[in-house]
Amino acid sequence: MKLLPVIFKRQLVSYLSAPVTYLSTAVFLTAAAVFGFHSTRLLEVGSADLQGFFQLHPWLYLLLTPVLCTRLWADEPTTGSMEFLKTLPVTRFEIVVGKFLAAWIVSGVALLLTFPIVITVNYFGNPDNTVIASQYLGSWVLAGCYLSVGCFICALTHHRAIIFTVTLCLLLTASGLSSILDAIEHQVPVWLIDRLLSLSPSARFDAIDQGVLALQDSLYFISMIIAFLGATVIVLNVRNG
Amino acid sequence: MIEITSLTKTMGGKNIIHDFSFNAQPQECLGLFGNDGAGKTTIIKMISGSTTPSSGHIKIFGNDIALNAFQAKKVTGYQPERLLSHGAMSVKAFLGFIAEIRGFRGAEKRKMIDRAVARLELWRILKSPVETLTDGLKRKVAIAQAILHDPSLLLLDEPTEGLNADQKHKVRMLIKSLSDEMTVIVASRAPEELTGICTRALVIADGRLVADTSVPELQRSSRHHQAVTLAADTPLDLLALAVLPGVAGIEEDRETPGTVTVLALPGQIIYPHINALVTQRRWKLNALSLEAGRLDDVVHHMSQEASI
Repeated sequence: MKLLPVIFKRQLVSYLSAPVTYLSTAVFLTAAAVFGFHSTRLLEVGSADLQGFFQLHPWLYLLLTPVLCTRLWADEPTTGSMEFLKTLPVTRFEIVVGKFLAAWIVSGVALLLTFPIVITVNYFGNPDNTVIASQYLGSWVLAGCYLSVGCFICALTHHRAIIFTVTLCLLLTASGLSSILDAIEHQVPVWLIDRLLSLSPSARFDAIDQGVLALQDSLYFISMIIAFLGATVIVLNVRNG
Repeated sequence: MIEITSLTKTMGGKNIIHDFSFNAQPQECLGLFGNDGAGKTTIIKMISGSTTPSSGHIKIFGNDIALNAFQAKKVTGYQPERLLSHGAMSVKAFLGFIAEIRGFRGAEKRKMIDRAVARLELWRILKSPVETLTDGLKRKVAIAQAILHDPSLLLLDEPTEGLNADQKHKVRMLIKSLSDEMTVIVASRAPEELTGICTRALVIADGRLVADTSVPELQRSSRHHQAVTLAADTPLDLLALAVLPGVAGIEEDRETPGTVTVLALPGQIIYPHINALVTQRRWKLNALSLEAGRLDDVVHHMSQEASI
């Protein structure tokens, strides 16, 4: 546990020194601004909450998370810095959690940078800022959940392209699960739909999005994070003995 | 004390290392010699913990690497053959990161880094990003991070490759001084460079240990042991050389005409006889040297014999 801050700092520096981090954050912010203002028709309706904006977040993270994930382990495209880290007295747990926390902080910063939209709604109306804060928190936990999935995929393969594609596909499925379920609603028994729907992160996120940070939904995301990080540590231990 | 017993490594259904065993004492400098692809790097990697052996045991100062890897890694310093470039990290930041991982903080951390930097003379490149350095400098950074924490076991994988002659000499001197403090295992495909430094030589061919002897012993098995090389502008009287007592044969250097090497029969000393002949005939020589033995030749020969 002592070395966790060391790994965390190292990974954060690695993110900050990579142009691709800034690029994907910029893309994320642009998309957030464009869709946030435009497709939710915020300015025309003049509504005083950001529900429409936060509903987009599962999709917006598709722009950010895969990029952050490719940089998690792949400092070195051919050999992988893992090879060298293995010879140092660091536990797998410290490596995985340290790296994950750094990525989570970066995504948190990207999320916080969407603050102009909060200022805008405050300027036009009188929104409930505690609801917005809880929505932000929920969105951040969702990002952590997506990143932990990416972390797990990174443990399985070293190829950047594969990490990127698989993460993207998985998140796309997760984000679109409710739409898929809608499409097959009539063919499949209702209980199955309900079961699957309760597993969908975006459905869970919608619940948080209503402004209610229910313990149940938060626990769902946090247990997802713990489960995937745990799986990552196990896979790394099994693969390398 | 390092104990390695019947180490085996199988990769992709092919045996890379067969039943490899040896012991190393503290303050011993072991050379791991062999041709390319003989398995030197694989053995070093297994001891360092970056690859797991298929079977066999590695014990580093009482810590079995399979059971107590954490303790074993703490006392080990490893210089990989290729330093993994750490992004845009500067040399200073990289060494700082390694020092922190090794558990040093504050003033102690600075002291340890300064010492490693001074030992490898890295002052001028401290601020350069690791990935922009030349191979030779990367190697020096890799050695610096390996010796930073005063390990009890130092693993070096081709430490002098890519360095110029002057740098090579300095690194050799460094290894020699380090071997007074710790156990050093050096893998090299150029054993000649490590003659004065390694006390013991392990020759590996096709993943098998073919020789485990002292370096002088290995030199004695060279056919160039006690051979004398003469260089002159005018052709020498080869017949007179050949009939001297104890001479096994004469080799002419095709690339530099006028240079001949006189080989000695095993156990014979021919240098005084040649010296006497030179004085008697008043030959005008440019060079006259006695050889201890050519390690490169010996290792190459052993590897070829083993593969047949």
